[in-house]
Amino acid sequence: MRALVVDDSRTMRRIVGATLNDLGFETQEAENGAAALALLEAGLEVDLACIDWNMPVMDGLELVTRLRATREWRAITLMMVTTESEQEKIVRALAAGAHEYLLKPFAPEALRDKLDLLGMLPQPAGGAA
Amino acid sequence: MSIAPDTFAFVADLVARRSAIRLEPGKEYLVESRLAPIARERQVSLDEYVRRLRAGAPDDELAGVVEAMTTNETSWFRDVAPFAALTPHVLPLLRAAGATDRVRVWSAACSTGQEPYSIVMALADAPLPVEVVATDLNEQVLARAREGQYSQLEVNRGLPAAVLVRHFERVGAHWRVRADLRGRVQFRRHNLMDAAPPGPFDLVFLRNVLIYFDLPTKRAVLDRVARVLRPGGFVVLGAAETTLGVHDGFERVEAGGAVLHRPLTAPRPPVSAVPSVPAPVVRVPMPRGLPPASPPHLTALRPFSAPARPAPARPLPQSRGVS
Amino acid sequence: MSAITSADVSAIVDDVFASMVDRQEGTVAPWPGGVPLDGHDVVAWVDVRGPWRGRASLETSVDVAASLARALLRLPEHAPVTDDDLTDALGELANVVGGNVKALLPEQGTLGLPQVAAALPDDPAAHPVQRLPLDWRGRSLVLTVWAADDRHGGAAGAADPPGQEDR
Repeated sequence: MRALVVDDSRTMRRIVGATLNDLGFETQEAENGAAALALLEAGLEVDLACIDWNMPVMDGLELVTRLRATREWRAITLMMVTTESEQEKIVRALAAGAHEYLLKPFAPEALRDKLDLLGMLPQPAGGAA
Repeated sequence: MSIAPDTFAFVADLVARRSAIRLEPGKEYLVESRLAPIARERQVSLDEYVRRLRAGAPDDELAGVVEAMTTNETSWFRDVAPFAALTPHVLPLLRAAGATDRVRVWSAACSTGQEPYSIVMALADAPLPVEVVATDLNEQVLARAREGQYSQLEVNRGLPAAVLVRHFERVGAHWRVRADLRGRVQFRRHNLMDAAPPGPFDLVFLRNVLIYFDLPTKRAVLDRVARVLRPGGFVVLGAAETTLGVHDGFERVEAGGAVLHRPLTAPRPPVSAVPSVPAPVVRVPMPRGLPPASPPHLTALRPFSAPARPAPARPLPQSRGVS
Repeated sequence: MSAITSADVSAIVDDVFASMVDRQEGTVAPWPGGVPLDGHDVVAWVDVRGPWRGRASLETSVDVAASLARALLRLPEHAPVTDDDLTDALGELANVVGGNVKALLPEQGTLGLPQVAAALPDDPAAHPVQRLPLDWRGRSLVLTVWAADDRHGGAAGAADPPGQEDR
């Protein structure tokens, strides 16, 4: 499984990336929505994008909207990872097409739980009970 | 007792790989306390037990070890499948077995309340009202559970975002289960060594608790549970748990990806009586002025079926209903 | 600004340290009263704009900021940390705290990008509404929430007479 981590904080990209790596994902990084689109336009293929909200140049909500509106990128699972925790913000993001929403601060287990909800965790051989 | 360093290292690595939870040095005591009961049951030392695991163990055995180590990590909709299956798959079976006006559930060892509230949320769109009796030995956790208020870290654990915005409201830095849902759960102090709370119940959630008891006690608890189950009702155990080898009075039933156990003595409804109910659509109520949700509609607790994705990694078995 | 209580700000701090910094509870507590704070020479902050205008700042010493960066990035105790790593890590902590403080407000605001400097720019128009001196593994940090004094409308500000501080 491959993931794109989009956040203007290098620290946060590394934290999210490390947990995704622990869970078996290959990861790439982008520092804002425009950089993410550039990577995808250049041919990067991913199954999952973890997207921060507040970023310069293009914010996360705009990125989510663009990805969901573009046929070749509609299949990417989109999880927002953000401090924006007002009820209305979460509703807006889900309405724009985000599949999940992880609040910052988060523990690595919480990211894992969200991936489990999305059916994106590697299954052990033989299948779970 | 102190465990060997490579025992701890193996367990820490196993848990990290399967749960993203890191057991850092200093947590040896936790491995000892959680796994000693399992080793004891197999009548070997903990180091020997782990040595055998390393030599080669079936996957569900390893899963059991991870469960035991992570069992206090209270999360919502733990393991997902039992909750996702409730409305579309389990409820029809219960209705066929006689639940006609309401669904009564007992959540045993409910701790701070995530499990009983998850049950109510999973059944929020069910055609029958649900009542939950939630019990625990510890009065402090019950007090927290009654409040239904959780930190942001706690609501991050396994709650689909759409479910969060629908069933919770913000209170300062915390999130609280909405009053209508809280009203459906009755919290009570109860010791599993005592007679069960008054039934009958359609479902009993007894998840990741039996692991701490010895074999005779496990049997006794399961006996008490069976006595308060309505005919056709089910026990829901933890993901890596089974009655096999513990109590031969239960049969295993699969329903929509969930594994359930049903007392054998209960009369079973004929196969033809099981109606098929389409999975209800869970909609997030959108505040006015916002565009309608563009992703596919939510179904139960896999809110967003991954778009144009190949078959899920965990194939859902056909509901066997009555075997 | 009565919506920003010290209990809520403490809860936010506890959550940040328990989940991201140390991945266990109990590593941060109020700094003991009367004990002088260590020499603080770096501060990170985010501004909040909207019906309520203010700022959340986190000040500490460069050494502590480096330790925080190592903790966040799961690096060993004396691993080298660049200035950029340190700045980014402290900035992200201010961002996460600030974002959660903003969510306490009755009306929605927008969060600015994190900034880091040796000291906070002087702003006579801002006053502190919560100040939390903290003890993290024996080292000191101070979290401060500031409110801009010119309160136009906005849920909480309008009712307060000028010069009054909410705690």
